Amino acid sequence: MPDIGVISSTIVAGVLLGGILALTALGLSIVLGVMRLVNLAHGDFLVVGAYAGLFFLQFTGIDPLLGVPVVAVFVGVLALPVYRLLLAPLADRGAEARMMTMFAVSIILENAFVLAFSADTRSIARDYATVALSLGPVTFPLIYLIGFVISVSLILTVHWLVSATAFGRDLRASAVDAEAAATLGVDVKRVQMLTFSLGAACAGVGGTLIGAAFQFGPSSGGAYLLNRLAVVVLGGLGSVIGTLAGGIALGALQSIGGLTLGDGYRDLVGMALFLLVLAFRPDGFLARGRT
Amino acid sequence: MKHHIGKSLAATIVLASATLALGISVASADDIVIGASLPLSGPLAGFGSFQQWGYKRAVDEINKAGGIAINGTKQQIKLIIRDDKTDPNATASNTETLISRDRVVAMLGSCTPALVNAGALVSERAKKPMVTGCDPLEAFKSVRKWNYVWDLFFHEPELGAAQFKAMADLGAKTNKKLAIWHDNGPDGQVVGGKIWPALAKEFGYEVVQNAEFPIDNSQFTSIIGEAKSKGAEVVLVDAITPQAIAIRKQMASAGYSPKVLNIEKGAEPVQFAEALGKLSDGILVGGYWDPTFPYPGAADLAKAFESETKLTSSQHIADSYAAAQILLDAITAAGSTDPEKINTAIAKTDKSYVVGPVKFDENHTAKLPIVSLQWQGGKTAIVWPKAAQTGNFMFPLP
Amino acid sequence: MSEAVASCPRSGYAPARGLVEVAALVGALAALWFAPDFAGDYWLQLGFRTCVYLALAQGWNLMAGSAGLVSLGTSCFVGLGAYVAFGVLNHLGTPLPLVLLICAITGGALAALVSPALFRLRGLYFTVGTLALAELLRLLMVNVSAFGGATGIFLQEDPPALPVLFRYALVVAFVASLAITLCARTRASVIFRAVRDDEDAAAQMGVRPYRVKLGAFVLASALAAMAGGIQAVKLGVIEPYGMFGLQWSIDVLSMVIIGGVGLRLGPLVGALLVVALGEALADYPEAHIAIAGVILIVLIRFAPHGVVGLAAKLPLTRRVPA
Repeated sequence: MPDIGVISSTIVAGVLLGGILALTALGLSIVLGVMRLVNLAHGDFLVVGAYAGLFFLQFTGIDPLLGVPVVAVFVGVLALPVYRLLLAPLADRGAEARMMTMFAVSIILENAFVLAFSADTRSIARDYATVALSLGPVTFPLIYLIGFVISVSLILTVHWLVSATAFGRDLRASAVDAEAAATLGVDVKRVQMLTFSLGAACAGVGGTLIGAAFQFGPSSGGAYLLNRLAVVVLGGLGSVIGTLAGGIALGALQSIGGLTLGDGYRDLVGMALFLLVLAFRPDGFLARGRT
Repeated sequence: MKHHIGKSLAATIVLASATLALGISVASADDIVIGASLPLSGPLAGFGSFQQWGYKRAVDEINKAGGIAINGTKQQIKLIIRDDKTDPNATASNTETLISRDRVVAMLGSCTPALVNAGALVSERAKKPMVTGCDPLEAFKSVRKWNYVWDLFFHEPELGAAQFKAMADLGAKTNKKLAIWHDNGPDGQVVGGKIWPALAKEFGYEVVQNAEFPIDNSQFTSIIGEAKSKGAEVVLVDAITPQAIAIRKQMASAGYSPKVLNIEKGAEPVQFAEALGKLSDGILVGGYWDPTFPYPGAADLAKAFESETKLTSSQHIADSYAAAQILLDAITAAGSTDPEKINTAIAKTDKSYVVGPVKFDENHTAKLPIVSLQWQGGKTAIVWPKAAQTGNFMFPLP
Repeated sequence: MSEAVASCPRSGYAPARGLVEVAALVGALAALWFAPDFAGDYWLQLGFRTCVYLALAQGWNLMAGSAGLVSLGTSCFVGLGAYVAFGVLNHLGTPLPLVLLICAITGGALAALVSPALFRLRGLYFTVGTLALAELLRLLMVNVSAFGGATGIFLQEDPPALPVLFRYALVVAFVASLAITLCARTRASVIFRAVRDDEDAAAQMGVRPYRVKLGAFVLASALAAMAGGIQAVKLGVIEPYGMFGLQWSIDVLSMVIIGGVGLRLGPLVGALLVVALGEALADYPEAHIAIAGVILIVLIRFAPHGVVGLAAKLPLTRRVPA
């Protein structure tokens, strides 16, 4: 039985990691909620952000965490033509068409990464990324705390955007009933495009954080996708605060799972939870109706 | 309705035939055709590209020198490489196509046991000889008794013993408490699950932890936490590169610094050091080839690779280059494109290649000798055996 | 999904045509049975792959086109079939036809087992749920060393020769096509379409949507497991990443989209083209898999009903102006 220090450290680390997880899942969540699209390329958007952060550092020498706004804008802008050219024309088609289009984008992205950056595994090597922070008996990586702060700030910003602005109102209307929203004068296509872009921007920032805290490569996208889906389902499709709560919950539970069963079982715990929640509360464990 | 069916089928047949026709490669009747299925995309794309370079170089060299004499006339070698996308199903189907459509006389292998096995089984059943590297010998032997497939690579027990011997010979003073972390792939299970624990006993180490994790695991906090709390000063890891990088970073984030850290497989390529920067210093890894080895063409191979590709050389160019050369030498010795004759010739291989002396035993395996490398300032130095040292042993881990 | 109904010629309940189709299938089976005597190894191998893919695509098409269930969980059942096949063959040495039957039963059983939970999910949630299921099973297989972990397991006996394997695959594809024909040409097809188009309305008409969806799901899963079983036997060695990998689910989706979702000929056309495309891409590794992505995108965009839909629009036969 590991001591109290290990347990509390694990839980704290899990919560902090969960915040970062939530940010990386946010894009998936809002796109799913507003566009009813399972963005199979979401994980690859994360990787785009990671590469962006890496090269931002290499070319400007500025710390990627300071460059986060740049990464956000960069990835967000990249997503606009993807929506305009590839998704908008398919708006009235069934779910498979858009899903497969995004999967095709995922293939293209992964191969573009290999062509442009080689298949090497990368990591954004910063000194603060590999330092442990100790507060009493609790020890956790400093980068988790930094990432948590950045993630939560961004998530709260998006939440404000969604709940308190005109754009947010349009977004929520489109999510509940796109046809009704259109008759009320909402430019649904534009809302969807901006939502998609916003989702990508969040993914980009999340990707940079992941790149700093962990490592990534051209094919990392797929592995990220499934975990993020679990967060989205836990928190409720389309709910921003729900995603935050879902991420933190999953992070904590996965850490406990890793501690008790072994690190290899973290993902398994995540998936099992995912299925359980899907089975009993498909709208999300924490959803209280639509945001 | 009938038009509908007819048109659909007609369109399909036209499209399908057109796409298939793209593939009917025009090999001159005088070419000797050999094939390889490699992971040129997907997670193992890095390995695939090294192997492709090694195979191509060997073939180009022989072709430039005039080719191989078959029944008196010199013929050129045609090497056909197909991408298996790191999917064993694709390796198998690629190998099938190479054998049945392109009529290769022999095959060169893919990389990592899962892919190599899939292709090797096809080759074996079709009775076409295959020479492969990139497949640890025990993992290779455990599949079946091979008749047509030959493997040159390191032997897991030797790899496992290398660091113990290195620590002993170099006089590394530790509390002899050992933590073993290994993935659950074929060589991870063999080296980490069996070989290291057995050797630990032999060399007087106490195994305070033996943790297994999936090949693509991303979080190691619990594993690291446990080793740290048990005070292990020696950590032996067997994992692939993404996991190796993750482990090193997370150890630093957790404030855990053992005196000796050895990461097999994952710490070998230069991307490991590039991704980690200073954190890679002092890490040990077993290597089966280095350009400084005293074997024919070793240094030149690395230089050629670096000048052609502008990338840092990797040991994987060596075993692939050697594997191709072995196959080509066997075809030369057989003087024929008959698979049986080529197979017999491979069995008789007994020559020094860029990886060292190669001679296959009754299990169709050839061992490549292991040295212990240590990362120092972004480059690897051989620290053991002492006779081959190219750098001083950094101890403890910085 | 409704466009498929609108533009698809009035297919459906048509018992006479059904008999014709069954006869055509039997005829095809009989003719191709003798293919090994004429065709070279390469064609048999392509044929094998096409048959395996066809079985998968038929099942998927039934679920999606007929019952409105878009699944990303094909890999779950393919992998299950593979491991069950090896388990039975290695430990019990049962003859292959029986092994495939056991695979089918296991696949169907798993589907039945998870359906109470999965069917609570509608539309998008169902798709996400199947994805989670597939991933869960893969993670289980990777972690539990009793199933070989990442090393996988080997078939102890050598598999049968290619002609024999080809015939097995042919039978599997035949069974799949027959099952789908029966669903499409009998009263079942009307019921399927009712459920697909509007589940609640159908329920009010006395149809039991749950049972209908269950039937489609169980059938598709049984077929997928059989396909996985025969594929595994041919490979001789299996491990979680290859047999439970997402590429199976994606491949099936590609096939059906290329062929045409919900259209009767879709699976066959899709399977043939995907196999051909796979061959072409492997031959030109320089062209990079990205081409596959571009092709998919273009097809999805400009051929909403796949190749079959495109072909239907081709003016190959002229109408005589009245």
